[in-house]
Amino acid sequence: MPSGALLFQSVILGLLLGGLYALLAAGLTLYFGIMRVVMIAHSAFLILAAYLAWWSHARLGVDPLLSMIVTVPLFFGVGVVLQRLLLARLRPVTLTMMSVLLTFAIAVVIEGLLGYAFTGTQRRIQLGYGTASFGLFGARIAVVKLIAFALAGVALLTLYLLMKKTTFGWALRATIQHPDAARLVGIDTDRVAGFGFGLGLATAAVGGTALALDTTIYPSLHWHWIGPLMAIIVVGGLGSVPGAAIAAMLLGLMQSLLQIPMGTTWAQTIFYLALFATLAFRPQGFFGGRLAQRF
Amino acid sequence: MTSRAIRTRWATAFGAVVALALAGCSGDDGGSGSTDDPIVVGISLPLTGDFSEPGKGVQRGYEAWAKITNDKGGLLGRQIELKILDDQSNADRVVADYEQLIGKDNVDIVVGPFSTRLVVPAARVAEEYGMLFVEPAGAANEVFQQGFKNLFYAAPAVANDHYNHLAEYLLALPPGQRPTTVAYAAMDDPFAQGTAYGLKAKLEAGGVRTVVDEVYPPNTTDFGSIAAKIASSKADMVVGGSQYQDGVNLIVALQQLRYQPKLAAFSTAPTSPEFAAAIGNKTEGILSPTGYTQKAPYPSNVEFVEKYTAQFGSAPEEDEANAYTTGQVVAAAVTAAGCAEQGECQKKLVDWVRGNKVETVVGPLTWDATGKPQGAHMIQQWVGGQIQIVLPAEAKETDIVYPKPAW
Repeated sequence: MPSGALLFQSVILGLLLGGLYALLAAGLTLYFGIMRVVMIAHSAFLILAAYLAWWSHARLGVDPLLSMIVTVPLFFGVGVVLQRLLLARLRPVTLTMMSVLLTFAIAVVIEGLLGYAFTGTQRRIQLGYGTASFGLFGARIAVVKLIAFALAGVALLTLYLLMKKTTFGWALRATIQHPDAARLVGIDTDRVAGFGFGLGLATAAVGGTALALDTTIYPSLHWHWIGPLMAIIVVGGLGSVPGAAIAAMLLGLMQSLLQIPMGTTWAQTIFYLALFATLAFRPQGFFGGRLAQRF
Repeated sequence: MTSRAIRTRWATAFGAVVALALAGCSGDDGGSGSTDDPIVVGISLPLTGDFSEPGKGVQRGYEAWAKITNDKGGLLGRQIELKILDDQSNADRVVADYEQLIGKDNVDIVVGPFSTRLVVPAARVAEEYGMLFVEPAGAANEVFQQGFKNLFYAAPAVANDHYNHLAEYLLALPPGQRPTTVAYAAMDDPFAQGTAYGLKAKLEAGGVRTVVDEVYPPNTTDFGSIAAKIASSKADMVVGGSQYQDGVNLIVALQQLRYQPKLAAFSTAPTSPEFAAAIGNKTEGILSPTGYTQKAPYPSNVEFVEKYTAQFGSAPEEDEANAYTTGQVVAAAVTAAGCAEQGECQKKLVDWVRGNKVETVVGPLTWDATGKPQGAHMIQQWVGGQIQIVLPAEAKETDIVYPKPAW
């Protein structure tokens, strides 16, 4: 029987991890919601942002968090361009399938470029507070993990407010729910879709920076992330940001707690078990609307 | 066309192909004995993919060996020429590569790739063709359980023996000082797990209790939970059967939880040049087994470090040294046997290596019948901001620090 202290520590670690998962998966949900695009390259963009954070810290001496001033707008722009130049050209009938192939290619290109620019050497951001932590009722909370969690909270809240309170958000949600009707009321759905894609990639810039704070990065790391992230958005309900966030928190927590009795290998399979269960019993996802009917 | 005519035509074509193939072979054979032709050494390496970093290290080691040997006049008066293929860290590719090197390119010698996962399939091909197969990277026990007759691992010890000196040291401590509980965390990888379990078996036999025994898959990215388990066990000692990134991530996660063991031992990671920077210089007291040190006084090592540094601009690490050692073993065998081509000569080379001791940059090496080297690794420890040899006593640069200072 595990001690109470270990359980409490694991709950805290699980929640922190879940927050990070929610941030990393948010973009995937947006792409699918807006345009039925399965974006395999999302995690490659996360690693790219992580590298840019590492690079700006190691080479320019800038705090990795400040790198977001450049990477967030940059990624937004790249997202808009990618959508307008590449994804918008795919035929609607085969869009989902072809987007897998196209974004797979983009992921491989990013991995190759990262290897070329930074070599395969594994990198880690060297922060003065990298191992700092503080106590909370006997458990310990690492400062970097808390920063990552806070970033996730801020980014997701911003996203939520943007979607609910701004005209652009309304247009985006209208485009998600019924593109034809949205066009009828005068929304330029192509333009909105481009911005939506940019928004998704902007979350990747934040997520990658959060990831870089507490992990060792290398060019092929993104393949380890795409599976769990895909599982999260399916369980959460494709296209639902709150659904993905709840699924991410729950799966992070379950992974952390299952680790105690079952060990790491089995704890990681929770993602795939949850994926199978979702597809078998509730294909619309456990925590969201069917295929992005809701935001 | 009648069936007879077709048959005749096929027979003619077949005959022509055989004739051409024979001509091709004899053309190659005709040259290989001559003293002007280079000795071609075939290698497949993971220059891209998962093992590309160590793979490139191994490549530099082989290149240094070829250059240093050639500068001294080569082997048997012939120059060495390396023929390197990229297997992309893929076990299927490595088989195809060695088939091509031996069968089609007709190289004189083959030597091994990097990582147990590639060494085993590669060794199978070499065995099939009766080639001597000295390899720089098959440290896991399973390599030596395949029944290979031609394989020799060119390093001081296999994974399970890496921590032997540490086990001896700990078990020799007076009962009051000896650690009583140990937490193990090992990557699900034959090499990494082998190192931790070799020590585990010895300590358990000596009465030291295992309180955590975690195995994690190579794609694990979050080490918080494993660290929480280890920290909550309050084990006297933590042992990581790790490669680089998992070792670093686990150490940082343990430090974040303020776990303070009396001893922390991790394979691979602490000997990497990036290690101290990666964990914020909180390295004091961390132990690691190592098969190579630039400071080892063996004569060939002094030469290797100097010439390697001149060639590549930085001193060699363990991967480079293992590849160089492989070259030294092959060179010793070729010199003793007086030949290097495929066929009968390979048998002579194998027999020579099996029966003799070879002086290398990692010290004198001998092998048992399965090709397993008969030695143990040195133990290094971070002391005063530097990694120094602390065990065994005859090789130590400084005393082992135990219990280790807080990290």
